[in-house]
Amino acid sequence: MGLSATDITIFLLSLSVILFFARGLGELLRYFKQPIVIGEIIAGIILGPTILGTIFPGTFNSLFNQSEEVVTALNGITLLGVVMLLLVSGIEIDLSLVLRQSKAAVVISLLGILFPFSVGFFSAYFYPEFLGLTDPSLHLVFALFVGTALSITALPVVARTLMDLQIFKSEIGYLIMAAAMFNDLVGWIIFSVVLSMIGQNSGHSLSLSSLIIVIGSFLVFVLIFVRKFIDYSLPFIQKRFTFPGGVLNFIFILGFISAAFTEYIGVHAIFGVFIMGIAIGDSVHLKKETREIIYQFVTNIFAPLFFVSIGLRINFIENFDPLIVTVFLVLAFIGKVVGCGLGAYWGGLNKNDSLIIGFGMNSRGAMEIVLGTLAYQYGLINEKVFVALIIMALVTSISSAPIMNYFLKKVKTELSFHTLLKKEYVIFSSSQTKDEVIAELCKIVAVQKKLDFNLLYNSVMKREELITTGLEKHLAIPHARINTKESIIAAAVVRNGIEWNSLDKLPAKFIVLLLTPEDKPEIQLNLLSDIAKKYNDVKIIEEIIASKDANELISKVKQLY
Amino acid sequence: MLFKKIGLAITFSPNGLPLLKSALRLKNLFNSGLCLIHVGEKNTETQSQIDQLIQKAGISRSSFELVWKKGEPAKSIINAASEYNVDLLIAGALEKENVIKYYLGSVARTIMSESPCSVLILTNPHLEPEQFKKFCVSVDFTPLGETAVKKSYEFAKLENANEFFLVKEFEVPGLAITVYDSRSIDDTEKSKQEWQIEEEGKLKLFARELNLKGLDYSTVALFGKQGWEARNFVKENSSDLFVVPSPPKKLKFFDKLFQHDIEFILSRLPCSLLIIRN
Repeated sequence: MGLSATDITIFLLSLSVILFFARGLGELLRYFKQPIVIGEIIAGIILGPTILGTIFPGTFNSLFNQSEEVVTALNGITLLGVVMLLLVSGIEIDLSLVLRQSKAAVVISLLGILFPFSVGFFSAYFYPEFLGLTDPSLHLVFALFVGTALSITALPVVARTLMDLQIFKSEIGYLIMAAAMFNDLVGWIIFSVVLSMIGQNSGHSLSLSSLIIVIGSFLVFVLIFVRKFIDYSLPFIQKRFTFPGGVLNFIFILGFISAAFTEYIGVHAIFGVFIMGIAIGDSVHLKKETREIIYQFVTNIFAPLFFVSIGLRINFIENFDPLIVTVFLVLAFIGKVVGCGLGAYWGGLNKNDSLIIGFGMNSRGAMEIVLGTLAYQYGLINEKVFVALIIMALVTSISSAPIMNYFLKKVKTELSFHTLLKKEYVIFSSSQTKDEVIAELCKIVAVQKKLDFNLLYNSVMKREELITTGLEKHLAIPHARINTKESIIAAAVVRNGIEWNSLDKLPAKFIVLLLTPEDKPEIQLNLLSDIAKKYNDVKIIEEIIASKDANELISKVKQLY
Repeated sequence: MLFKKIGLAITFSPNGLPLLKSALRLKNLFNSGLCLIHVGEKNTETQSQIDQLIQKAGISRSSFELVWKKGEPAKSIINAASEYNVDLLIAGALEKENVIKYYLGSVARTIMSESPCSVLILTNPHLEPEQFKKFCVSVDFTPLGETAVKKSYEFAKLENANEFFLVKEFEVPGLAITVYDSRSIDDTEKSKQEWQIEEEGKLKLFARELNLKGLDYSTVALFGKQGWEARNFVKENSSDLFVVPSPPKKLKFFDKLFQHDIEFILSRLPCSLLIIRN
């Protein structure tokens, strides 16, 4: 049953057509700052029965349905694509980060899974017909699947969104990443149990209890013993074998073996490769370059083949059921945004930050698509539900960045100068000396915040005696850490300038008093470095001190951000 | 005063005398008290062994107090330390056979994680103890982190050290993932470098606020896993004292299994280690 010369020609041709469209549309979507995976799905819809198959059925059939052998070969490649994709997803997960999350991250992670899962499970359990259940014997499994499908978060999309919004390296970004990683891990474990339950329904495989034992022991074995083994082997392989060839081979060998094993015991192959990925990614010896090479190779070649192939097998227009699509969309938004949002809120974050986290965790992207595809292949869901899932994955991914951005703009973080500065705290002073203007500023703070003036003044002056707080370019930031919960900023404009012993010998004209909580040195550092960085230009300072009144000054400050 | 009282558990192992001598050197350096703790039966034999040891070390009778404790070694040492107001406990690390690789034995590990005070772990105590010449401090921006920098800076000045490094690690989990979705490797490299500059800027400000004077210092920001990166930095530039603020939580078996932060340092000590506690 080999491939004939025509088969081979067609097979290779179809691969290149798939990659061509995937790249083209992917880049187009990237231009609009959208996840590249969306372009790949659209490429599939264009090349599949939905568009090409309807308009030019001949071309479509000769490209993708030439013979059974070509279809089998294409399926083989897409299987490889999804297995590699899951290997990468596993490598991404930072196990130690997941295991020692802060309290807030734990609450977000747990509620972020439990809440959407329950929403999905109970909706599907009590109203299966609304969600498109066709085979009543799969009632329970179907409900479990819907629960899982709603509780998934796509790490890559989340990461990219955070990066675009420039909050990747921030407390909120860290929280979201930690929670999303945890979510990924738990989501895949639940899904693998669900998948094996379908296998059970069709009569083979293990009983549920022994299945859970097998999955449990596999987890322990790989995450503890194999992980240690990898950690010891990697330095050796990197030293003795060619780099990165040796490491790449090692990683893929382990991944494929693990995938084969789990498939053999009746749990899907992707579960094994995913868990092995985690064990590999945890090693401190795995270099950043190696990760990036694998990611590039998998996500630019194999993943597009998989994502495009989804559209090739299904007609999206025929199977578009507005009711099911709407139900899934509504449940998806409610489940994640409410679940994660509440989790964040109870974890101690404010309302705005909680909403950012809720919408940030809402994007489902590639992971949902993998999940849906497998469920469809296993016959758990029909075409209509499948299409609804894909659309839900796309909509949640596209909407996440703009909505987060909206709330980010409203956020009043304690770490930003422009949000802390209020017009009651701005003065235009004619003080002649450092001591005078500091006293003036402290007085304002003392009156507004009902604090002890002497205490403020003394702490600031004490700090001033150590080394000058005069920075360059007419800027001085006298500061102190005091017994307060919130950071306080006051600013003075002194047009004549005050000698402040600055590094560049220029007199200080814009003087910012910075008072931060004494038990949090980091806040002070962040504010200091933030201000010093933003005002590192004489022109900006001159512009600011030219303001007529406090309102104008504030609006000029805000423009800088 | 940097440390008021140094505590050391006396053992009759080969490391016993070198440790005692090192403790004595530090006692003189800090001008502090010395509390020697022996865990075991008090009888004429052990008494005479200890006398011999003290004599060999050349410690005068009046300059230390001797505490006898019975029971589980680590716990007894910790109890003695808090009873006698010790604020720096000294312990030795073990050497793996054949290779020069140090790690913490179970007693030292318990002391490290449960001691109420600062702990100094010496990797290769000599009979002729040497000064610490190259200091490296792992910084975090907390009040304890400030204390760690201040104390080690004073220590370095006493030692007349040649070099003093302030190292700040920062971790951005999942940076490589962004390559996954349409970002190029160059982009991630660029972000990494920008963050590095930002962190180093903060570290410089941090040091400036602490008003460190009298000894030049260098600042380094490292991107990567906490604990691991600093450990490698220390190893590569062959510092001889590595100072870390103590981790906020007690370390359990679980932490040893899934290593993080200080565990990376403890399982492969790059050099002597000073853990600062309040």
